[in-house]
Amino acid sequence: MESRVLKPILAIYVALFLLFLYGPFIVLGILSFQQGPEGGPQFPIVEWSTFWYQHILGLAPPSRVSPLPIGISLFRSMTLAFMTMVTSTVLGVMAAQAFRKNFRGKTTAFYLIVLGMIVPGVLVGLGSALVATTTGIERHWWSTAFATHVVYTLPFAFLVMLAIFNRFDSTVEEASWSLGVSPSRTFRKVTFPLIFPGVLSAMLFAFTLSYDEFSRTLFSSGREQTLPLAIYSTFSVEIHPNIFAFGVLTTLFSFALLTVYAVLMMLSVRRARRVAIQEAI
Amino acid sequence: MIMAMATSEIVTMQDGSSIVVLDEALLRLEGITKLFAGRSALSDVRFSVTGNEYISLLGPSGSGKTTLLRAIAGFETPDSGRIFFEGADVTRKPAHRRGIGFVFQNFALFPHLSVFDNVAFGLRNRAEPFPEDVVLSRVKETIDLVGLKGLERRGVHQISGGQKQRVALARTLVTKPKLVLLDEPLGALDANLRQRMRTELRRIREALDIPFLHVTGSETEALSMGDRLIVLDAGRIGQYGKPDEVYASPATANVARFLNRYNVFAGTIENDGFTTKYGRFDYGTRTPASERAYAIRYDRLSVTPSGGAAPAKLAASYVASEYLGSAMVHFFETADGKVVEVEHHLSFGPPEAFEPGRSYDLSWNPQDGIAFG
Amino acid sequence: MTLVTSTSAEVDVGAPASNERGSLSAYVLLAPAVIWMTLFLVVPMAMIIYVSFWTQTTFKIEPRLTLDSWQTFFSSDAYLSSLWTTLRIWLIVLVTTFVVGYPTAIYVGLFVRNKTLQTSLLVLCVIPFWTSFLIRVLAWRPMLGKEGAINIILMKAGIITQPIEALLFTDLSVVIGMTQIYVVFMVGPIAFMLGRIDPNILEAARDLGADFWRILRKIIFPLSLPGVVVGAIFVSVMVLGEFATSAALSGRKVNLLGNIIVTQVGSLKWALASVVGVILTAIMALVIAGLLRVVDLKKEL
Repeated sequence: MESRVLKPILAIYVALFLLFLYGPFIVLGILSFQQGPEGGPQFPIVEWSTFWYQHILGLAPPSRVSPLPIGISLFRSMTLAFMTMVTSTVLGVMAAQAFRKNFRGKTTAFYLIVLGMIVPGVLVGLGSALVATTTGIERHWWSTAFATHVVYTLPFAFLVMLAIFNRFDSTVEEASWSLGVSPSRTFRKVTFPLIFPGVLSAMLFAFTLSYDEFSRTLFSSGREQTLPLAIYSTFSVEIHPNIFAFGVLTTLFSFALLTVYAVLMMLSVRRARRVAIQEAI
Repeated sequence: MIMAMATSEIVTMQDGSSIVVLDEALLRLEGITKLFAGRSALSDVRFSVTGNEYISLLGPSGSGKTTLLRAIAGFETPDSGRIFFEGADVTRKPAHRRGIGFVFQNFALFPHLSVFDNVAFGLRNRAEPFPEDVVLSRVKETIDLVGLKGLERRGVHQISGGQKQRVALARTLVTKPKLVLLDEPLGALDANLRQRMRTELRRIREALDIPFLHVTGSETEALSMGDRLIVLDAGRIGQYGKPDEVYASPATANVARFLNRYNVFAGTIENDGFTTKYGRFDYGTRTPASERAYAIRYDRLSVTPSGGAAPAKLAASYVASEYLGSAMVHFFETADGKVVEVEHHLSFGPPEAFEPGRSYDLSWNPQDGIAFG
Repeated sequence: MTLVTSTSAEVDVGAPASNERGSLSAYVLLAPAVIWMTLFLVVPMAMIIYVSFWTQTTFKIEPRLTLDSWQTFFSSDAYLSSLWTTLRIWLIVLVTTFVVGYPTAIYVGLFVRNKTLQTSLLVLCVIPFWTSFLIRVLAWRPMLGKEGAINIILMKAGIITQPIEALLFTDLSVVIGMTQIYVVFMVGPIAFMLGRIDPNILEAARDLGADFWRILRKIIFPLSLPGVVVGAIFVSVMVLGEFATSAALSGRKVNLLGNIIVTQVGSLKWALASVVGVILTAIMALVIAGLLRVVDLKKEL
């Protein structure tokens, strides 16, 4: 078969593909080293400098470029993401646990939950803004935006937990019952420890989705802005490379976090494997 | 402690009728029916367990034996019927309140706990947990009983299959249940280990003196382990009795088949004989049953050269033999392809050699024949 | 030792159908999620439909039902053209993400057999998402502009002499931007389905003499179809709801339905925004229903 020829061709294609995906990131990475404070967010690079990084960290000498309005909005984004993560994971785990049984209306409930990830942000945002306006409820990041964030992230947490429970062997729960342990205690002491890695992924998923969420939040957060909104508001004003420096920093931060997570996972897997190999006969 | 009530001993049949039960039974099942996707897994199952015995529940796959066990434990709710345990109706009682132990085929050990914590789990987490010193002593006692001493600190992935089985057993026994259910507990073990564990299980049961209800698909296991044997046939009880009784006098053709010791032929029955397509034979026992059949045990057949005279015989050609250690099983095939097995116990003498493809007469004493119908 | 069994003439019909007790606890567990979705998703969506029929005064809306806003939409060339633009861009991006993403999915799903390598490649595809969506969108301008990175590279390489103007502020720029952002949602599901193909099947086909293109058409593609459908649903939903990318990359020239909603809400024209919202919802529902017809997902997954 031509796979001998095909595989390297496809490999090159995938390399180009990745280049395509990373294009903007590479560009903004390069531009973040633009000369400041006069340098603009376009080529050519007038002079290489780390000015904009210093600017972000507040270490640059004062200039006519105002600092990015990140401070408090960063805090809001993190808090909102945290609240969303906790709420949607709890609701998602409960719903997935319910789905282990059969009951009437199961399919409807399934579609209702999954609907939250299908409907685009513009629509949900518009709808919640309408509800808020007509009922006179004030829009805040911690109330109306929070509600729509959970609507968005709950289906993801739910689906992750469904997949986890699908592969879960329930005989350990039955064993626990047969020993006289109540179902609720069984959940706490047996089920939950075993599904915990799944819960962790659901939480990670939910946090990430909420943190960068923009289109829903645009309509529902009222006057105090979350981070994406703050960035969006700078669109209409002049853009400076400091936004690129910020992008690079946050990406590196996410990268660092995930590397730590992956290393921890690998260590625990390796430890478990070492333990399992010492099988005595 | 045996709670015995003297009444007639009657075996439940598929179309039989019998006598009133008494509430001193430890476990009693009445009319248990369970449907799965339209198919009935259990149909009108009824039996009782009164004493402390080792009871084997035998049946081929699909006979409903695991379903029955799970219904008794409370993991499944029957569609109709009732279950009485220690005199009380537990049909609607959730599993964790029944006080019935269960040993799973896949052991179902808690992977995130050590051997010791697995065994201690039930005592520590029940509604009224035991104080830790009681837990420690009971767990230690049970671990010694099942032979796991020294392995307490190990994780469940660090022990062998046989050891996992003992952990599963210890975990249940430490809670001192009044009845232990075992779902093919030896199925996941290799043959050698299985042999040893059979003796172990009986020894442990005797030490604790509580009834064990052990589900298996292996007739040798069922026959060798049970003080009593229940044979399950397509969701109904085929026979319930002592192993030697079941072995010598199967109640139905299917029971005879499951025992894997009988050649079974279809046909019609009359008062003076049973007619099959291989001939008409006398019989020594007539057992009323809904399916008409003629059964003759493997080890009651003799192989003679073709053409001789015998009170009951049929013609078949030789296919092959299997050496089983203390016996040889010879496989013969009739003209229309039915396989007939002849078992020759080697204590009766060395085995004969037969010519493959050649026709022989398989003969027997008609008194050994059982006619159902 | 006795064994006794009984047959009473009337058999007690004991326990009712198994799941009575189970269902109740299931409903209790499910209730919070269902209530949340109903309150914060279903009600707002219903609101959109309802408000589309309200009367619009300058800055307020009143519950007096009317078809005014609907007429405004359908009688305006600008709005109608944005409807076609949305559909056009959606279709183009759907096709481009498929064409661009499929070969990658084949490589990752079929040719890379090592599970860790597979996961790493997929993670590599996801990393760009860790940079905030908006910042990435911003980065396109210095890429596609007249003095942008692409033009500079192409000119330095001698491929062109004049900078390509059409790269920014056109339909093309929007398509490029959206493809880049959403192609991963195509690659993922397709690679997943391809990874589930038993390699023995492919080998058997090869042994029977089929060449690669035949295998692709007759085996690989049909088996990957559920993934394609899932990917298509993801991409469609996201593209149809888009407004930020088109705003940033086309300089307001490409007006999608999403953009209209945003601008109308900005001027507090709720009724008209709702009309557009209903139309958008209808389009999406049709697209999803149509895609789900291609493959019976429940069976395949």
